[in-house]
Amino acid sequence: MEIVDLKRIVEALLIASPEPLTETRFSACLSEEETHAPLQEIIAELQNDYDESGRAFSIKKVANGFQIVTKAEFEPYVKGLFSKAGRLRLSQAALETLAIVSYRQPVTKNDIEAIRGVSSDSSLRTLLDRKLLEIRGRDDGPGRALLYRTSTEFLQYFGLDTVKDLPKLREVEDILSEEQDELI
Amino acid sequence: MNKPLRVDLEMFEGPLDLLLFLIKRDELNIYDIPIAKITKDFLNYVEMAKELKLHSAGDFILMAATLMKIKARMLLPQEAEGDEEIEDPRTELMNMLLEYQRYKEAAAAFEQIERNERPHYYHIPLNWTPGEEDHTAILEDVKLYDIMLTFQYLLKNYEDPVTHNVAVEEVTLSEQAGFLNGLLQLQAKISFASLLEKFESRLVLVVTFLAILDMLRSQQVKVKQSKLFDDLLITRGKEFGNS
Repeated sequence: MEIVDLKRIVEALLIASPEPLTETRFSACLSEEETHAPLQEIIAELQNDYDESGRAFSIKKVANGFQIVTKAEFEPYVKGLFSKAGRLRLSQAALETLAIVSYRQPVTKNDIEAIRGVSSDSSLRTLLDRKLLEIRGRDDGPGRALLYRTSTEFLQYFGLDTVKDLPKLREVEDILSEEQDELI
Repeated sequence: MNKPLRVDLEMFEGPLDLLLFLIKRDELNIYDIPIAKITKDFLNYVEMAKELKLHSAGDFILMAATLMKIKARMLLPQEAEGDEEIEDPRTELMNMLLEYQRYKEAAAAFEQIERNERPHYYHIPLNWTPGEEDHTAILEDVKLYDIMLTFQYLLKNYEDPVTHNVAVEEVTLSEQAGFLNGLLQLQAKISFASLLEKFESRLVLVVTFLAILDMLRSQQVKVKQSKLFDDLLITRGKEFGNS
């Protein structure tokens, strides 16, 4: 099959897919006879077409797959489609809680509160309601506390391919040496 | 007169955040925290917290107690046992502060990413759910949290009928599991909402719900839901009948 056709197939899949289009999903959609061209390359070609024809959207690599997103310049218009409540920015408390979960997952509520030094029920609730976190099993320790993890929606929300793409957590040693520098 | 700087306590995420603020403000050495000074400053803020009835006032008071404990331990002479080094009573607090600072920084980075990502809208937005009337599109991937929310939601709409019966209700988990098992032999699926209508008491309902969760765990049943807060459909699972 020619690359032109594959390009159009991928485009159709991108439009129809309710979640990021992964390599696995892509090949599952193709029939046996069809050559399994590398998704990555086709995406690059498509993106190139979009750039040349000046489309209002682009293809983003997110949550281990590809998705179509609108370009930033159209935000003032596109946001009119959505309720304000659905797009509220996260509070400081929610961001801190989310940061702890993303770097240390799976974690219990206790782990989170030990680091933040403050009760974190309501921020956990917000994050669960917004589906940025999910409950994945229970801790083996006493009390069998619930374990929290980040979700696919979390990756989407922050436009990340995998959790590994998060900025590296600064080492305590670095913070300490900086403190030292400041003092000198 | 030296007017104290008014700082809104609500702007701090907790006692550690406040301590970091005090350390930064007065350019204190985190290695060598002047515990007497910081305890005094911290207590001033806690006084304010009490007035404000801050919801996390308890966490602030706990920290105040910790600070006073450290202060007391520093005043007491310590004798090293053998070769052991004397541990600075402030070490644990210092480690907590540094650890918290790492995540506070990460949270700031997250906020920046959030800001950069917000203007981009996905072709299918977050938390996408099938249309209102589309009952064919069923979310196979129902999370335990969704099930709990639905149960809460359905229960709220369910009024306990007024009865004057004081007999002890005896209902067990295995009884209800057996009941569900029997029902599923007869029919392919059970609607949870129809169970609600069937049972007279909340207790029986709760036990039935627990039985469903238990059977879900042992894969005797599957639970499907077309959208959040919608009815739960219970069907036969992989291990159905093998109890």
